[in-house]
Amino acid sequence: MTEIIGFFLISWTDPWLIFLTAIGTFAGIYVGAIPGLSVTMATSILISFTFKWDVNEALALISGIFFGGVYGGSRTAILLNIPGAPSAIATAIEGYPLAKRGEAGEAIGLTTVMSVLGGFVGILALALFAPVISKFALMFQSRDYLLLGIIGIFLVGTLSGESFAKGVFAGALGVLIGMVGLDPLTAEGRFTFGSIHLLGGIPYVAAMIGFFGVAEALVQLHTLNTPAIRQKIDRIIPKISDIKKYFWLAMRASGIGTIIGALPGTGGDIAALLAYDDAKRSTIKPERPFGTGNREGLVAPEAANNAAVGGAHIPMLTLGIPGDAVTAVIIGALFIHGLKPGPLLLVETPHLFWFIVGSLTLANVFLLIFGLTGIRMFTKIVECPKAVLIPLIIVLSAVGTYAIQNNPVDVYWMLLFGVVGYFMKTYGFQVGPVILGVILGPMMDSNYRRTMLRARQDLGDFLWGFFSNPISLILTTGLILMLLSQTPLWEKLLRKLPIRKS
Amino acid sequence: MMSEPANFRRPGELIFALLIVVFSVTAFWQAYLISGFSGKATPGVFPMLASGIMIVSGLIIVLSAAQTPKKFDNKSGFFSEVMSFNHVVLILLVFSYIVLMPILGFVISSGCFLFCSFQFLWRKNPLVMLALTGIILAVIYVIFREVFQVFLPQGTFLRDGFQ
Repeated sequence: MTEIIGFFLISWTDPWLIFLTAIGTFAGIYVGAIPGLSVTMATSILISFTFKWDVNEALALISGIFFGGVYGGSRTAILLNIPGAPSAIATAIEGYPLAKRGEAGEAIGLTTVMSVLGGFVGILALALFAPVISKFALMFQSRDYLLLGIIGIFLVGTLSGESFAKGVFAGALGVLIGMVGLDPLTAEGRFTFGSIHLLGGIPYVAAMIGFFGVAEALVQLHTLNTPAIRQKIDRIIPKISDIKKYFWLAMRASGIGTIIGALPGTGGDIAALLAYDDAKRSTIKPERPFGTGNREGLVAPEAANNAAVGGAHIPMLTLGIPGDAVTAVIIGALFIHGLKPGPLLLVETPHLFWFIVGSLTLANVFLLIFGLTGIRMFTKIVECPKAVLIPLIIVLSAVGTYAIQNNPVDVYWMLLFGVVGYFMKTYGFQVGPVILGVILGPMMDSNYRRTMLRARQDLGDFLWGFFSNPISLILTTGLILMLLSQTPLWEKLLRKLPIRKS
Repeated sequence: MMSEPANFRRPGELIFALLIVVFSVTAFWQAYLISGFSGKATPGVFPMLASGIMIVSGLIIVLSAAQTPKKFDNKSGFFSEVMSFNHVVLILLVFSYIVLMPILGFVISSGCFLFCSFQFLWRKNPLVMLALTGIILAVIYVIFREVFQVFLPQGTFLRDGFQ
C-alpha cells in the first residue's frame, strides 16, 4: 500500500512533473476549446515531440492535455455555440442558450466543477477496477483478445459516423494499414511492393497526425470566415446550492461516462450524449425546457465526458485495447517508450500504472484551478482566426511527423493520409476507427494466428473455442448481439416485444 | 448516437465509393499474393479478411450512395463543395512545403509556407503577415528546438552551400 501511495505521489512531489501536468492541462483547455484543434490531434502531435523524454514526463504532459482538452470543448460550446470537441456537442445545446441569457460565467463555473467531479469518479473507477480486471485479464486467451479487438473496432464503427458499413470499412482499412511491413511472426513482407521504405510498415504516428491533424485542417477550410460572437461573463464561481442540487445527477452521469469510456472503442463523445439523454429522461420537472438553457442538460454531459477519461484508461492499461481515439494514440506513445500495455503492465510495471493514476488526479486538480480562472484571456485566444490556425496546424503536424524518425518519407505519408482522411470525413466516414484498426490490427492478426495454430488449423476446433470457454462465450455473444443490432432483424424483434415506447 | 445520413448525395460521393471498392479489390488481390489460400494461419489470411470486409462494406456504401438522391441545383458541385479552390491551393502549398523542407531546412521552408498560406487565406497587409510569420516561427522554434529538443531539418541546400 505504501508503495502504491509512493508511486501515486511521484507526479505530486516532483516540481518538474507538477509543472508539466499543469502546462498540459492549461494547454489542453485551449486545444480543446479552439474549434479545429482536437485532443486527439494534440496528443498525436505531442507524442512525436516527447518520445525522447522520460516516459513519466511524457505521460504527465499527455494526462494534462487529455483532461484539459475534454473539458476545454465545453467552453467554446457555451460561449460560441461551437463545440470545441465532439464530446461537447450536448453541452452546446444547453450551454449556448444560457450564455445568451447572460449566464455564461455561471454556466462555465458549473461545468468546471461538474467536470472535475466526473473526472474524479472516472479516476477512482480506474484505480479500483483496473487491478481487478487486469488479474482477470491474465486468464484471457489469444482468442479473447481477437474478439476484444473486433468488438472495439465494431463499437466505434457502430456508434459514430453515418452508417455501420462506413464504420466497418474505416476499421478494416486501419487493420490493412497496420498489416503493411514485415510480418511479426514469419518476417515475411506484406504489401511492401519490393520497397525498403515499406518494410518497417507505415509509421502509425504519421497516419494519426494525417488523419487527425491535416484532414481536420482541410475540413476547417470550409468555415474559414465564421465570425466569433462575444459573450459577457461576470460570475464564474458557482453557488454551493447549485453544486448540491446537481451533485447526484453528476454522479449518475459520471457512472454512465465511466462505463461508456471503459467499453473498448467508445469515448467521451458517446458518453456525453448518453448522459444528456439520461438527464432528459430522468428530470421530471425541469426548470426550463431542454434545449433552452437547462442546467441538468449542461451538467450531465460534462460530468460524463470527463469521467470517460478515467474509464477509457481501464481497457487501455489492463487489456492493451484503447477505450477511444485518444487512448489509441496514447497506446502508440507507450509503444514508442518500449512499454506494452496489457494485463502484465500492472504486474511488471505497477509504478507506471499508479503514476498515471496520480498524474490524472493532479491534472484534474489543475483543471479546477484553470477552469475557474483566466476566462478573459481565454475569449481573446479562442477568437484566433482560422486563417492563422490552419497553416499552424499543418506546420506542427509536419514537424511532428518528421521528428519521429527524421524521415522525410513519413511527411509524405502524413499528407496522403490527410487528404484521404479529408475525403472520408467529407463523405461521412469517421477516422477514429481507422486509427483503432491501425493499433489493433497487428495485435488481432497475431492473436488470430495463434488461436488457429492452437486449433491445429482445424476450422471446427477454431470456431468451437469461441463457444466452449466461458470468457470467449460472453465476448462472442456480445459481438453477435452487436452485429445483430445493426440488421433489420433486430428492429423486427424489438417490435414484437410487448413493451412499447411511450 | 449515430448521426443521420445526409439526405442528399454529396458531390463526388458515388465516385469516392466506387474508388474505395476498386482500392479494396486491389488490396485483396495483393493480400492473396502474400500466401494465397495455402493455409489458415499464413501471413496472408488476415490481410485477406480485412480487405474482404472492405470490399463487402464498400459495395454496401456504393449501393446506399447510389440510392440517395442527388441535389438538384447547379450551385453544388465537386469543386465548389468538396475540393474548393482554397483546398487545392492549400494542398499544393503543403506539398511544396514538405518537398522543400529537407532542401531549404525547417526555418526557411516553414517561413515561406506560413507567409504564403496566411497571405492566401487572410489577405491582409503583407507586412503584418510577415511580422506574424516571424513571431510564430520564433515561438515554434524556441518551443520545439529548445524545450522539446526536437531535431528540425536543417536543409541540404544551406548546409552544402556554406561548406
